[in-house]
Amino acid sequence: MGMWKYLLKKEFKQYFRDPGTPGMVLSFPFLIILVFPFAANMEVRDVKLAIVDSDQSEQSVLLTEKCSSSGYFDVQSVTSIPGEAQTLMDKGKIDAILTIGNGFAKQLKNGSAMGDALPVGIKVNTVNGTRGSIGSAYLNACVSEFLMESAGISGMPSGSQVEIRESYRYNPYMDYKRFMIPAMIVIAVTMMCGFLPALNIVTEKEKGTIEQINVTPVSKIAFIVSKMVPYLCVAFFMVFTCLLLARIFFGFGVEGSLLDIGLFTFAHILVMSSFGLLVSNYSENTQQAMFVIWFFSMVFMLISGIFTPLNSMPKWARIVAGANPLTYFADAMRGIVLKGATLADTWKDLVALLGIGGLTTAWAVLSYHKTN
Amino acid sequence: MSDRTAIKVEGISKSYGAVKALDDINLEISEGEIYGLIGPDGAGKTSLFRVLTTLTLADSGTASVNGRDVVADYQDIRRTIGYMPGHFALYQDLSVEENLNFYATVFGTTVEANYDTIKDIYSQIEMFKTRKARALSGGMKQKLALCCALVHKPEVLFLDEPTTGVDAVSRKEFWVMLKRIKESGVTILVSTPYMDEASMCDRIALILNGRIIDRGTPQEIISRYPDRLYAVRGGNMFRILKILRPLDGVLRCSSFGSECHVAMAQDGPDSSFLLDTLKDSGVEDSSVELVNPGIEDCFIRLS
Repeated sequence: MGMWKYLLKKEFKQYFRDPGTPGMVLSFPFLIILVFPFAANMEVRDVKLAIVDSDQSEQSVLLTEKCSSSGYFDVQSVTSIPGEAQTLMDKGKIDAILTIGNGFAKQLKNGSAMGDALPVGIKVNTVNGTRGSIGSAYLNACVSEFLMESAGISGMPSGSQVEIRESYRYNPYMDYKRFMIPAMIVIAVTMMCGFLPALNIVTEKEKGTIEQINVTPVSKIAFIVSKMVPYLCVAFFMVFTCLLLARIFFGFGVEGSLLDIGLFTFAHILVMSSFGLLVSNYSENTQQAMFVIWFFSMVFMLISGIFTPLNSMPKWARIVAGANPLTYFADAMRGIVLKGATLADTWKDLVALLGIGGLTTAWAVLSYHKTN
Repeated sequence: MSDRTAIKVEGISKSYGAVKALDDINLEISEGEIYGLIGPDGAGKTSLFRVLTTLTLADSGTASVNGRDVVADYQDIRRTIGYMPGHFALYQDLSVEENLNFYATVFGTTVEANYDTIKDIYSQIEMFKTRKARALSGGMKQKLALCCALVHKPEVLFLDEPTTGVDAVSRKEFWVMLKRIKESGVTILVSTPYMDEASMCDRIALILNGRIIDRGTPQEIISRYPDRLYAVRGGNMFRILKILRPLDGVLRCSSFGSECHVAMAQDGPDSSFLLDTLKDSGVEDSSVELVNPGIEDCFIRLS
């Protein structure tokens, strides 16, 4: 017992003596809640727009005003020369061009019943695909709203209209922050528990201190467990601090139970620590370990549904995501935090996490013996 | 020194891929002696230490420490030996005191309980006990490492190149400390690449390319040297070596510090032959002297 106590004491001492780590741990929750959600934001605002008005009519001016007052667009220039707007787009100064062709007002007055399309064109810069497609959708919406209004004013029959009313469940204001915060917590726990203990063990290997420990009666299990415990504490500290901060600063509560969150966090920690141990078994030095970790963290984060939906990925990527523990932890965390999911809804995620954890632990233990 | 065997090595071999690090090593080390394992870098010293301290498994052969098998009883061995690896392997970010307490605790004891064992050495670094290990000088680090290896009163002490990279004064001090530790009944197996340290050991084994090439007390090994040995001094050592090496009757000729040692058969020509040859070749400033062989000469003869 005395040995365990001292092993842990040593790990905590080294942990807090490290010049960077304690500060990083304390500032991480603040970064996660107060900085990253604003940066990892997919909402498109202030689409920079140029309007080519070849019509120069009352109607075209009204449409221009409509766009600039909608709040989504930042009208950079209004011109009558199409080439000018194109130059701006080529230089990357604007995201979209709205072209109002000659005869716009005339056609609008006569009604488009004649079957001719209105001479309105939309051109978007899709170097950034998301921004382009969302910008184009906004512009479309803006133009059709204008057409609808002008039809109402002129008292023309506007034909049958379908009214679509959208209702957003679980995240009523479609706030991207709300969606990202549980995922950010997932990433933080992964970094904390998978990679830091692995680097810690590899450092002991590299410095040779592990050799001195190996000739003592300290068992390998005791050595490894004592390495994991500080990071486990830190991970729990981080998860709950993040949730608390989200509540204080944004008023985002947790819909589900905190106990479930604790349970999933623990399961994920088991998976990630055994994975970290696996990496350390196959690495001789910190550089190697860092590279392996970097590679896996890219895969883990990008193919997990954290940033982009799994459904839009090709089949092979979905298979990769199926073997990725982050997929399940993120899914469960979002479910619990946003929807108030209970174990009855998330048990599949838990089983998957434990399954992956069992595999990596078995592999880590087996390879640990082999490398000696 | 008693007659009981502390370390027994029988037919140990170990390969790393195609490299044979240890090739059929046999050793018997008595309780309470300082046994030196002497050989150049890469001879297999560290590999043998790693087998004996249960850090690695041999490919074949058996070994035991105080009657405990290195494979079957490895846990007992770890409890009763002290090991100081060739590189500084304590925690650099813990203080002197914390390192010592840590190693005492993992062996289930305390510094206070075994203070007598380490007192001589620890008293020399006690004034720095709150200093981090990384801030210690080389000699201090070595003393701390020795304290940590001794803090649980081991029966056998394994010291892998403890004097490598340590200044001459500290090296001398270190051997004095070892003598004192030995007096308390601890068996010490120490490796070194410095041939001049061989005489500080009770018995030694010369190791080269994974094989023991000779063994015994330093005097025994030296007395087995069969040839006459001359030290040749002169201005242009390289030229002298070039002249003497191809001569008939010269068995070996190698540089030795500022001179060169020339071995010749007992019934062969004597020093005047060497002097004459050198003079004939135009080397005027040379002198030749009959000297007693050292361990290094024995090593060169056997290698």
